[in-house]
Parts: sequence; C-alpha cells; structure tokens
Amino acid sequence: MRWATRAGVHVDRAACAWLIRRHLDRDAQFVFVTEPASVPADATPFDLRGARLSHHDGDCSFETILRSYELTDPVLWRLAQIVHEADLDDERFHAPEATGLDVVIRGLSMTFPDDQVLEITAAMFDGLYEYLRRGLLLGHEPA
Amino acid sequence: MEWVLLSYRIPREPSTPRITVWRKLERLGVARLGDGLVGLPADARTKEQIEWVAEEIVDAGGTATVWLASSTSQTQERAIAAAMRAARTAEYQSVIAQAQQAATGPVEEAARALRRLRAELRRIQRRDFFPPEDQDQAAAALNRLADRLKLAAGDSRAGKPAAQAGTPGDRAGAPR
Repeated sequence: MRWATRAGVHVDRAACAWLIRRHLDRDAQFVFVTEPASVPADATPFDLRGARLSHHDGDCSFETILRSYELTDPVLWRLAQIVHEADLDDERFHAPEATGLDVVIRGLSMTFPDDQVLEITAAMFDGLYEYLRRGLLLGHEPA
Repeated sequence: MEWVLLSYRIPREPSTPRITVWRKLERLGVARLGDGLVGLPADARTKEQIEWVAEEIVDAGGTATVWLASSTSQTQERAIAAAMRAARTAEYQSVIAQAQQAATGPVEEAARALRRLRAELRRIQRRDFFPPEDQDQAAAALNRLADRLKLAAGDSRAGKPAAQAGTPGDRAGAPR
C-alpha cells in the first residue's frame, strides 16, 4: 500500500511511518508531498491537514492512528505520549524524553532526505519501544 | 522576512475550544495583528504549529486560513518584532526575579523553584524569535541559583560528620 505525508518529516510523521510499517502494513511505501492536493489517488494520507489520520481534538497523528486502528498496546500509548510532547509540546503528558527526541529528529531532517530520515528513525523507534517495553514490565527505568 | 499568518474565526460558544486555542497561540508567542489575525516568523516548526492550530479551529466549528506573507514596510515589521521582544523581556525578567527570590529561601524550596524556572525558561525560549539580552541574563540567574544549591549540598555533606561527632547522644544511641 502507498501512504502519503508532508515532505520534511519530523517526529510525528517519522513515528507514524514506523508505526505503519511495524503494525499496519509491512510493505508500506511512503510518498512525500508538499500539499494535500498532490496526494496520489491510491495513497492513504497521514499527518496532513484535513486528513482522517491527522491531528484531531488535540491529539497528534500518531495518537489518531493508534485510536483509529484500535491499537491498544500500552507500550505504544506510552510512546504516543512522548511523540505528542515532542510534536506539540503542550505539557499534556509528563514526557521528559520528548525534548531530546525532538531535537535529534529536527537535526536528522536538516541532514538527510525524507526516506533516509524514516530509515534512521525506524531504528530509533525500535530501540525506544524496547526500552519503554522493559520499563513497563519492570515497573521502573530499565538498566 | 517571511511570516506565517493565521486568519481565523471561532464560535464564542462553547468557550472551552476558544480558550484552548487562545492558550495555544499565547504559548507559541504569536504577534496579534488584528481581530482574528495572528502571525509568527515563518520556519518549519512555526508553520507546522500554526497549521495544527488552524486544524483545531476547524474541528471546533470555526474557520481558519494559513498564509505566508512578508511585510511591505520594514518599519512596521520592526515595530511588531519590538513588541514581541518586549513581551519576552518581561517574561525573562520575571524568571530572574523569581530566581533571586528563591536564592534567599530554604534549600528545598530553592531546588523546587530551580526545576520549575528551568522549565519556564525553556518555554519562553521556544517562543522567543527576537531574543533580548535578558535571555542570557535569565539563564545566568538560573545557573547562579544552581551553583548556590550545589554549594549548599556540599556544605551539608561536609557538615554531616561534624554534626554527628558533635552530638554525643547520636553515638550513644547508634546500634553497634
């Protein structure tokens, strides 16, 4: 399947792409557009103004995707809090990791083209997911 | 200089989304250019943040359009920048005053104040597009407060054995 999002990916879009590949569509292909009108007809848009899978009611796109595909994994929801704060910084959640994640991905998007940013951040989100998973199992910060 | 402008209208009632939007715009540090018109210097982050506020306004039953614009006069642009800088200056000054106040109080309260003020400083910096000198002064005031706390912690560590040695009751009561 093809998925479309805005070019110049940042934390929310990187996290959504990772989520889509890991949980919704293993063979997902991503298209980067500069405006909603240029989304190809066969592509599902996300994190784009006006799209169903975008910001809604104060949620970031990552949270919207979790909600609409009924993904209930608590590790993903904890990750969602970090993505939310890194993206929106509205202090709805306590997520001190967000600040660091935000600047690292901002730096990556200044350095690499979008498809490469998705590749690098996929590894980051794999690691972050594992860290959060262990933390949730242990009930405290792992190692 | 390029600006991102948000022109919007949001229903008076219900008031909750209207207040949420107002708070978000304040947090972003927008220049209020007119009734239902706000602006920020355009960059990747501000464009995105403004787009999401626009989306939220539409979700709340309002209307919103987002524009990229440049001013036709440097004078009016400078006046807007100066007003934004003045708003940040007042916020930095408040941080400095609170840091100085905390430095005179008990150590635990000062430590709490330091954490709170560091978060506050970061919030102000994020919406500071024309940094005044006060930014550095506010950061320096917090570093001074942190240094003082470190010094106080060092004192209490150094003072601990001395206090124990000087309190015979402690030693007698300690299990051996």
